[in-house]
Amino acid sequence: MLLPAIPEAAVWAIYAAPLVAFLVIVAALRHRPLLAGRFAIAAIAVSWVLAMWALDTSIGLHGEPAAFQPHHWMSLFNLHVEFGIRLDGLSAVMIAVVTSISLLVQIYSTGYMAGDHGYPRFFAFMSLFTMSMLGLVMASSLLQLFIHWELVGLTSYLLIGFWFHRPAAAAAAKKAFIVTRFGDFGFMLAVVLIWVKTGTFDIAEINHLAHTGMISASVLTGFVLGLFAGASGKSAQFPLHFWLPDAMEGPTPVSSIVHSATMVAAGVYLLLRFFGTVEAAPGGVHTTIAYIGGFTAIFAASMGIVATDIKRVLAYSTISQLGYMVMAIGLGGYVAAIFHLFTHAFFKSLLFQGAGSLSHATNTFEMPLMGGLRTKMPITFWTFLIGSLSLSGVFPLAGFWSKDEILLDAYHHDMVLFVIASLVAFMTALYMFRAIFLTFFGEYKGGAEPEPGHEGHQAHPHESPRSMVAPLMILSVGAIFFGLFNATGAFGHFVEGALDPAIRHFHFELNIVVMTVSTVAALGGIAVAAAIYYAGRPESSAIRAKLGPLPGVVSRLYYVNEIAEDGVVRGVLYGGIGRAAAAFDKYVVDGIVNGVGLATRLVGLGVRQAMTGQLQAYTSMYVLGVVVAIGAIFVLSGGALERLVP
Amino acid sequence: MLTLFLLLPAVGALLALFLPKERAQDAKWIALVFSGLAFLVSIAVFVLYNPHVEGYQFVDTFDWITADTAGFAISYTVGVDGLSAPLVLLLGLLSVVSVLVSWRIDVKEQQYFAWLLFMETAVAGVFLSLDLIQFFLFWELELLPMFMLISQWGSGRRLYSATKFLIYTLAGSAFMLVGFLVLGATAGTFEIAELVATPVTEAAVPLTLVFWAIMLAFLVKLPTFPLHTWLPDAHTDAPTAVSVMLAGVLLKMGGYGILRIALPILPQQAHDARWILATLAGFSVLWGAVITLRQTDLKRLVAYSSVSHMGYVLLGVSAMGAVGLSGAAMQMFTHGTITGLLFVVVGLIYDRTHTREISQMSGLMHRMPVVGTVFVIAGLASLGLPGMSGFVAELTTFLGSLEVHPVATMAGIFGVVLSAGYILWTVQRVLHGPATEKWRDLTDATSWWEITAMASLVIVILAVGIYPPLLTNAVEAGIAPIAQIIEGVS
Repeated sequence: MLLPAIPEAAVWAIYAAPLVAFLVIVAALRHRPLLAGRFAIAAIAVSWVLAMWALDTSIGLHGEPAAFQPHHWMSLFNLHVEFGIRLDGLSAVMIAVVTSISLLVQIYSTGYMAGDHGYPRFFAFMSLFTMSMLGLVMASSLLQLFIHWELVGLTSYLLIGFWFHRPAAAAAAKKAFIVTRFGDFGFMLAVVLIWVKTGTFDIAEINHLAHTGMISASVLTGFVLGLFAGASGKSAQFPLHFWLPDAMEGPTPVSSIVHSATMVAAGVYLLLRFFGTVEAAPGGVHTTIAYIGGFTAIFAASMGIVATDIKRVLAYSTISQLGYMVMAIGLGGYVAAIFHLFTHAFFKSLLFQGAGSLSHATNTFEMPLMGGLRTKMPITFWTFLIGSLSLSGVFPLAGFWSKDEILLDAYHHDMVLFVIASLVAFMTALYMFRAIFLTFFGEYKGGAEPEPGHEGHQAHPHESPRSMVAPLMILSVGAIFFGLFNATGAFGHFVEGALDPAIRHFHFELNIVVMTVSTVAALGGIAVAAAIYYAGRPESSAIRAKLGPLPGVVSRLYYVNEIAEDGVVRGVLYGGIGRAAAAFDKYVVDGIVNGVGLATRLVGLGVRQAMTGQLQAYTSMYVLGVVVAIGAIFVLSGGALERLVP
Repeated sequence: MLTLFLLLPAVGALLALFLPKERAQDAKWIALVFSGLAFLVSIAVFVLYNPHVEGYQFVDTFDWITADTAGFAISYTVGVDGLSAPLVLLLGLLSVVSVLVSWRIDVKEQQYFAWLLFMETAVAGVFLSLDLIQFFLFWELELLPMFMLISQWGSGRRLYSATKFLIYTLAGSAFMLVGFLVLGATAGTFEIAELVATPVTEAAVPLTLVFWAIMLAFLVKLPTFPLHTWLPDAHTDAPTAVSVMLAGVLLKMGGYGILRIALPILPQQAHDARWILATLAGFSVLWGAVITLRQTDLKRLVAYSSVSHMGYVLLGVSAMGAVGLSGAAMQMFTHGTITGLLFVVVGLIYDRTHTREISQMSGLMHRMPVVGTVFVIAGLASLGLPGMSGFVAELTTFLGSLEVHPVATMAGIFGVVLSAGYILWTVQRVLHGPATEKWRDLTDATSWWEITAMASLVIVILAVGIYPPLLTNAVEAGIAPIAQIIEGVS
């Protein structure tokens, strides 16, 4: 619009810049931490500038896809794989979000990670992660998307397990990868299925075939449910959600990018990228998606209310908000889902960085150990408050606009989900303001002792360094204003450019009922949080007593961890099937083999003779054996022998 | 050129064997020079192989046994096509790697390296032979060095394991020989190309029996459930280099035999057997993966993962279509590099810790960052991470097999999920965690032979993963004629 259209090579450069940073750091800057950090930031800055150019171009095209040709990658018989760039309203927004958040998080990390002896490794992994995520959002081919999807999984594994010397971090990293891989079982099946049925991996073509009725309903059902399984893993939807809270073991900047704006958003992005196909699937599929999303939203929110670790509160909040987005997709709310994904990226990244800033000062994420930090860390406080208000959906902050889009879709299509979504809005405000009261108000409870190796962090709370608070302030701008992009529906029409014209049905609407309900819910949540806090019972035992065993179940996270890990993995897979299979191998298969071995003891004796080391003896026995075997076979196969000798 | 590839290691073996005793430590240099030369030849074969020309290339042939009156001949014929060229390269590479990882061998070096080189010749003969009898002889020849290496230089219950390996393989190959003789007697030739061109449609023995007799040897070698239990034992007790060769190239003889002999010569019987093969494949993948999860011995763990991964080869075969067969051929090559690398790393760890018990290890990453990093890379490749060669092969297999065998393919894809489980759990237990006092004095792998062994395999794994045409061009040319035959059957 302002600039000439971006050439394809420049879009590839957005993707390549962080890759170069990764390679250079690994090859040359392993022992130059300062330089490694700066190089990574310079690279992502280049990506960001180019991303803005790409966004500008896409706006000029009204979100319609740019005309880039795919490139040949490999072919085998009728299998032809091409990779290319899809630049349209949807991917342009995502590219802009990923590069923006990545840039800010990496700047923030120069402060947060200062002094860590893995500093260069951290920036190398961050760069590789950013590259993978960019490859995912700009892919024009399903296989290309899948490849980067897996690379995102890998880099998230490396980043969560960054402090691998901590057993909890190592376990959390493994868990994140494996749980998301369970979802990828469905995704991979979907990838294979759609190629078998259509002979193509091209996303636009698949979408086109789907909504023009060229793919049968049963294939569509399988394909979309497969994609949804993959999306459920990455975007932490019930019942594959339980890896995300554990993933908080990673460094906080990781959560700020991986678990707010990027990796966890990838699942939602996948469904949006295939929106044309999802729309064409039978209605039951939509209902399934919408209800799993809605259930995840309220289920995770309930866990957010009882968590005491501020990062875990944010993790549950993320699961809950992703549930919102998934629900919106199930309800056909393409624009609502993207818009909430977009605003959520900013305020959730802000909140995670705020939590990181708090722990930087107090050496802990446990809220009961904080308190009173409002005056000691004013910038952190105000930005965290902005993020919380935005997340709670208070007018006129960003979260208000995007959450209302989702509520509106529910209001029009499914009253049950509308009630659930409104309840979630109330609960969101409740747990966020519970967190704010616990951490920023009252008396300071003293924090925790610094970990060995991080003694540099002061014991008395202080505001974080400039490199950390500057990103907080910049993100606050997004958390406040970015909702206005769609205050007239402009954002919605832009991202709809990515869809085939036949399935664009966004129309802008301001609904007074929905707005009232959401505002009452948000303010109600804040009020209840304040009431509980000022009644002096932040963790009221009286309320717990009245509710019976329920809060216990909630704070044990509904025992999902126990069921999945102890029940399914340890019990069924490892203990049950695994033990049975191993026993079968040992006693039945090997039993037969050893039995045969006994029967052929003669052979064994002969072999043992050879063990005296006499090569000649062994060799001659071997030759003899072969001769005897051949002779025996000739005799046995008498019929064939006669033909050999006419 | 191929005869040169075949003979170079054998010549090296003789030289090493006749080295004066006081210069025994030079045997490794002879081994390195001759396996290195053979590797150069294998590179030349792979690069110069022209995928646009049909049929075998670089053929060397002369009649060996002629019985004109009987109307048949046994010839010495070697040649490569797109199916064998990658395997020849793999053999050349892994032979050098296995010499490098044996650098510290100090017991009877002359015999050790002689057997190692001799094994290369034997396996090369299997991949290059274009005559059934010749194929069989090389197939049997490979048992000898294998048995000697495990039983003499192995550890633990090495004699039991070596004998088990021998009995299993001999049992299989006896049936194979019967099958070959029936085929040769019926057609009047043992030339593979002629047997393919003029198919045997009737014989004194039902051809289905002939097919299964031949397949038995290949399925043992692959190995396929329930014929797999020799593999974990052989691997566990074998020296590192032998494990590398065993997993890297010897198992491929099974898959190669299926693709080179069983399918094109007896396509109808193969086609009839596809359900059984797919069932065995699905079982192997899941069975192997589930048992892998339970292993407490690092080497045994990698061995069982091989059972699972070689199941993909059979899955691709059972699809009986061009894409699936290509997936099988690619899986053979990639599994050779990936599992070869895993055994190299496990060997380096064992050299230093003198234990293979996973429960004894913890936090090794702190002391051995290079070995640890390569372990992670090999593990990621093994669990099918995109960007590495295993992913391309597995995906191609699934693309080829889903339509024919949906259930077995789903089992295969679930195997990929399980592989993430056992690999990452192992990484966590062995490498992660705090640095421990016990392993304070471990040293990292820094010598040139260790670095070369690891780096060469990592490069191949990444290169094929990032740019698959390096492999697929040859594979497509090799599979095309086989696929044409097998797809013509219904």
